[in-house]
Amino acid sequence: MSAQTPADLPGTGTATAGPAHPVREHEPRGLSQGQIVRRKFFDNTAAVVSLVMFALVFLLAFTSVGFAGIPGWWKYNHTEFLPLIDGGAPTITGPFSWGDHPFGQDSIGRDYFAMTMRGTQNSIIIMFIIGALAGLVGVVVGACSGYFRGWPEAVLMRFTDIIIIIPVVLAAATLGEAVNRFVGPGAQIWLLGLFLGLVLWTGLARLVRGEFLTLREREFVDAAKIAGASNARIIFKHILPNAVGVIIVNTTLLMSSAILLETALSYIGFGVKAPDVSLGLIISQNQEAFQTRPWLFWFPGLFIVLICLCINFIGDGLRDAFDPRQKKFNAARVKDVGEPAAA
Amino acid sequence: MVTYIVRRLVTAVLILLGASFVVYQLTALSGDPLEELRASNAPNRDQLIQARTELLDLNTPAPLRYFGWLAGAAKCLIPFAATCDLGSSIQGEAVTTALLRAMGNTITLVTTATVLAIIIGISLGIITALRQYSGLDYGVTFMSFLFFSLPIFWLAVLLKEFGAIGFNNFLADPEIPASTILVVALASGFIWALFASRSWKRKAVAFVLGAVVAAALLFILELADWFTNPGLGPIVILVTGVGIAFGIVLLTAGLRNRKALSSSLIMVALGLVAYYVVNPILNAATIWMVLAFAALTVVVGLAVGYVLGGYDRGQSMRAAALTGLLMGFLIVVDRFMVTWPSYFNNPRVRGRPIATVGAETPGLDGTFWVNGLDTFTHLLLPTLALLLASLASYSRYSRASMLEIMNMDYIRTARAKGLSERTVVVRHAFRNALIPLATLVAFDIGALIGGAIITEQVFAFAGMGQLFVQALQRTDPDPIMGFFLVAGMLALVFNLVADIVYSFLDPRVRVKA
Amino acid sequence: MRFVRTSRAVGVAAVAALALSACAANTGTETPQESVEGEATGGNVRVVEVNAFSSFNASSSEGNVDINGVIAYATHSGFNYINNDLEVVDNEDFGSIEVLSEDPLSVKYTINEGVSWSDGEPVDGGDLLLQWAIESGYFNDATTDDAGEVVSGATYFDYSGDTAGLALTELPEIGDDGRSITLNYSKPFADYQIAFGVMNEGGLDTPAHVLAEKGGLADEDALIELIRTEPAGDPASPVERPEVQAIADFWNTGFDTKSLPTDPSLFLSNGPFIASAMTPDQSMTLTRNEDYDWGPMPKVDEITVRYIGEAPAQVQALQNGEVDIIAPQASADTAEQLEALEGVTVVRGNELSYDHLDLNFSGVFEDEAVREAFMKTVPRQQLVDSIIKKLNPDAEPLDSQIFLADQAPYEESAANNGSEAFGEVDIEGAKGLLAGATPEVRIMYNRDNPNRLNSYTLIAESASQAGFKIVDGGLGASDWGAALGNGTYDAAIFGWINTGVGVSGVPQIFRTGTGSNFNGFSSPEADELMDQLIVETDPDKQDELQIQIDKLIWDSKYGLPLYQVPGMNAHSDAITGVEYMPNLTGVWWNFWDWQITQ
Repeated sequence: MSAQTPADLPGTGTATAGPAHPVREHEPRGLSQGQIVRRKFFDNTAAVVSLVMFALVFLLAFTSVGFAGIPGWWKYNHTEFLPLIDGGAPTITGPFSWGDHPFGQDSIGRDYFAMTMRGTQNSIIIMFIIGALAGLVGVVVGACSGYFRGWPEAVLMRFTDIIIIIPVVLAAATLGEAVNRFVGPGAQIWLLGLFLGLVLWTGLARLVRGEFLTLREREFVDAAKIAGASNARIIFKHILPNAVGVIIVNTTLLMSSAILLETALSYIGFGVKAPDVSLGLIISQNQEAFQTRPWLFWFPGLFIVLICLCINFIGDGLRDAFDPRQKKFNAARVKDVGEPAAA
Repeated sequence: MVTYIVRRLVTAVLILLGASFVVYQLTALSGDPLEELRASNAPNRDQLIQARTELLDLNTPAPLRYFGWLAGAAKCLIPFAATCDLGSSIQGEAVTTALLRAMGNTITLVTTATVLAIIIGISLGIITALRQYSGLDYGVTFMSFLFFSLPIFWLAVLLKEFGAIGFNNFLADPEIPASTILVVALASGFIWALFASRSWKRKAVAFVLGAVVAAALLFILELADWFTNPGLGPIVILVTGVGIAFGIVLLTAGLRNRKALSSSLIMVALGLVAYYVVNPILNAATIWMVLAFAALTVVVGLAVGYVLGGYDRGQSMRAAALTGLLMGFLIVVDRFMVTWPSYFNNPRVRGRPIATVGAETPGLDGTFWVNGLDTFTHLLLPTLALLLASLASYSRYSRASMLEIMNMDYIRTARAKGLSERTVVVRHAFRNALIPLATLVAFDIGALIGGAIITEQVFAFAGMGQLFVQALQRTDPDPIMGFFLVAGMLALVFNLVADIVYSFLDPRVRVKA
Repeated sequence: MRFVRTSRAVGVAAVAALALSACAANTGTETPQESVEGEATGGNVRVVEVNAFSSFNASSSEGNVDINGVIAYATHSGFNYINNDLEVVDNEDFGSIEVLSEDPLSVKYTINEGVSWSDGEPVDGGDLLLQWAIESGYFNDATTDDAGEVVSGATYFDYSGDTAGLALTELPEIGDDGRSITLNYSKPFADYQIAFGVMNEGGLDTPAHVLAEKGGLADEDALIELIRTEPAGDPASPVERPEVQAIADFWNTGFDTKSLPTDPSLFLSNGPFIASAMTPDQSMTLTRNEDYDWGPMPKVDEITVRYIGEAPAQVQALQNGEVDIIAPQASADTAEQLEALEGVTVVRGNELSYDHLDLNFSGVFEDEAVREAFMKTVPRQQLVDSIIKKLNPDAEPLDSQIFLADQAPYEESAANNGSEAFGEVDIEGAKGLLAGATPEVRIMYNRDNPNRLNSYTLIAESASQAGFKIVDGGLGASDWGAALGNGTYDAAIFGWINTGVGVSGVPQIFRTGTGSNFNGFSSPEADELMDQLIVETDPDKQDELQIQIDKLIWDSKYGLPLYQVPGMNAHSDAITGVEYMPNLTGVWWNFWDWQITQ
């Protein structure tokens, strides 16, 4: 096997009686997997656009109202009461004419741009904590139980079962209480993310385990075993790259659903609590304003949708880029691409 | 295998026991059941606090109180003794009663949405995978994520505004303005074009076709006053039936299988005959009668397929039975449509058929058909909301899975053998792509009973989600525990089912006894 | 070739079908005539309630939920009711209340002849006696320890109301006509008018003959006998009373249900309506009680109650014509949205609850000057402008600690109690009183209640300008109630509910050392006036005493009432007669005036 093709290409030649489609002329040689991934990712327009968009949202949210004590460039913050101007209607009229309250003001005069930005920050923080934590725990638990089987599987999967059946809402409500009672409201974002991350990894763990159950029986794993590869090597170098598609799709879906979960929790009163804000909280606080002051809905809603879409398209791009089998570089070539014979 | 299942079930009981303790403690920690009373200035405040304390046994520490609950719950294990005691809510209703009712409501609400989401989601996923990076792929992805990202209460408000209030206003005076026809035609043309394959010419043709068909349809329907007096009629049923027959044969057997095609077409003809024969009987229909007819149809379909089937009977039988079922469905739909005017003019409905809240019109007491329509008009919006919100995850997973399969060696082999694209996709790729989804589906069905908390709340639907959240807001432990028992049990069972299904579908994964 | 044959057969069948269809005109399905139900077509009003019905006994502690209360109101009659001016109106068609003597107070209640339960049994002396036994706590002999644990004896009827008034009466005798009882008070009781048989409290809602049977007694007479012979409860020497216990147990929980009981005796009516259908957690239908003619006569035939929790869902249901009357949680946006709807009328008013700022009479606020300084900084007008005005454009700060703006003596009391001194923020004045000191004040409030949070923020901002150092003592929804009165804060922002009628609530809050006196207010002078107040039966003198107490409270720099919480209802224009009502009976208070115009 050549160095650049991952060692896990399926089929040892018996099934591939030669490419059915014309072979792409040159598979670039001498590229590391990282380079391949990067090239494939940056060839994916939707993913790149999403990445740029997300970066812009991220920058806007974190620089405008400041973060962790560093002041931002926006003149208001999310807690100040200001006199209501024009019923709190948004003043933005174009990309460069923002006016005093670009997103308007809420019913007691707080600047809605500042609130939305602060909410975006918090939602992004929660999303990343959950994604990282749940992704890590889920992959490790799933991989170990799927690969080793036997008692590690039994123990890990039963533990997963316990976590699965404890209602997330209940966990969040209890956490909210604890936060209220023992910690200041300042830490609640981090704790909420941490806590939800520790509860939400179960689906991923089950999926990863499922993948591993199938993959561990494949020929290339046997081959690697015979070649004397260590368990860790087999898991991380051989099996994991094959499961990366499922993992990324699931993690990105998880991250975007984390934002929505937080919204839902806020709606029933167990999410981020005032005076801090999150996108979900301000939307649900103002849900009655839907018809009278729709901007209270549209702006935070826009950011939720934007973040979710970006994350998912980025995830899609990553998935395609990581897939060791998929050699498609862009849409036009889909039909022409055959796989270079590995053997 | 049996030992495996038994062992898993035993562990499940232990898990449930352990988790129930945790849940009980979490509930106790999650709030103060005396909150509203403490801040009250009622002259008998202390007495009220004392009564509540006594009712919930608050002076006993929560870890001990748990065993009191457990003792009652343990009685549920005695078979046929009807001694089940899951406690009661603060308002004095037995949890068992409340749970049964809430489960019923939730199942009516969530089942349709889940089934539809699975079917539509997976189909979309497969189609977008086959057309990766096409306009269709991007369009579907964008739309499904858009719906996925919208908070469901927001979606609900929009649906109510346009789907209920707006549509009811329209029904009161069903006249479609030309502008609406134009917009719908354009949208339809656009969708058709998206689905058409890549060449621009075909897209253009599809666009025109889609637009013209939609516009003509709307125009004719309005002309025929169809919105006040809907119905399909035998001709539409026949034409649709033939279409269905071809579609089903195309998917299940391939149009070259003439035997399958003819058995399906025979079922269409039989269906049309049944349309006239069964009609008078249907006046007194009940749900059981409809189900019996459905079963009968399947049997007849299988028989027809068997008789005509030839060497590959299975295919014909499947195709015929499926066609028969769908014909039956068309007949039932027609019947519901014909009942529409009498439902619409019912004094309790008052010409506002599409409802925004609840599961039924209070006091409406009509035939099977009227009540069926009532359920339909009440479930329409919440089902739509749930469906739209859950499409994304199914379509994403099935797309990913399908993409992976389509790059497999055996797919290439199949193509190399000269198999038709249909055979490759349906027979080789599709089935394998479903394997990883089986786990997901089994798991989602297990989670179904947990209800849809927010959807239930905004549509005033008293299901499991409401039961749970309201109890949680009052810090009322018994309903929460009841909810947890049912939801937890089902989740564990379907977890097990998912594992077993997985090992069935993928023989390489063996269940270790 | 077989295919050709079969396809031919199919073709023939299809043609035959088409021919048939041509005969059957445009649709082959004959339309059966759906029988349009004849019942109640013109007179059905659909009302929305937030909570779901759970019990036909709204007086037990488990059944004491607003929705159960209004259903009890619509299905039972009583001697009087409270109107939306918060005045007591006698229902003379039902019976009479006669004050036999002022001192000692003795009141005779007589039910008119012909008043009966919906099963035909007359409403009589037995029902009155039972009602009295329940609401007076006559049999209770429980003693509780500090933790609230019952150590001896028992509380029989879990009555959710206050037993204090009727506890002053001795065991009454049933009159010779069998339809009356006379309550003799050991000392005058100010709220005697609303102590017994008020329709808003469910009126006369427990049928003695049913309870007797369900509790295992032979008949109503046996129950009367039981009440008369069983000794009064004495916590010092508790006795076992198995028969009373059986009756009480049934009363406490036997009427709890979410679906219509098969046993009609469990939902007997003696009022204008009777329950006729119930779908648990969804809806309930009330139809006319045919026999009823002893009280205000309703104009509609049927009332459907639907339970919808969310305000937006209520509004959209109204807009969609699914319901006729809604009472959503008041919010500026809901109001605005409702106002914009065609064919919908919005009815606004105040609720009986009001938010207030209490200052502890200890710690940093022990000094009256500091309290006064703090009060001077409270921007009450700004609070009302930014929190309440959007809901109720006419809202003003509340200027009395005792009266609500809806009550008649409010104006007079507000003009005399010295509240005008705190009408405007006076930072300079506060600074002067503080004389350079910068006291640290910890303010406790419910952080999860947006209005309170906003009040706190505005108050804190203003007070800091005068030199106060404000510490945020906000607590979560389930903690702040428990913290009341525990001394961990210096000032608290929270809400009280005024009963609107009656004076028993006044000493509950303001008397030295009582249960809801959380800030340690103590004024011997006020205590004495309150002692007079609770035995004063003349309404004018009651008002006079309360005005004096109000002034004493303000003079002591107790703290400040902030604003009354606004409420609102909305109804379709197809209905007339809907009026705002501040108390818990809500829109239902005059349901007999509801009328369908179209």
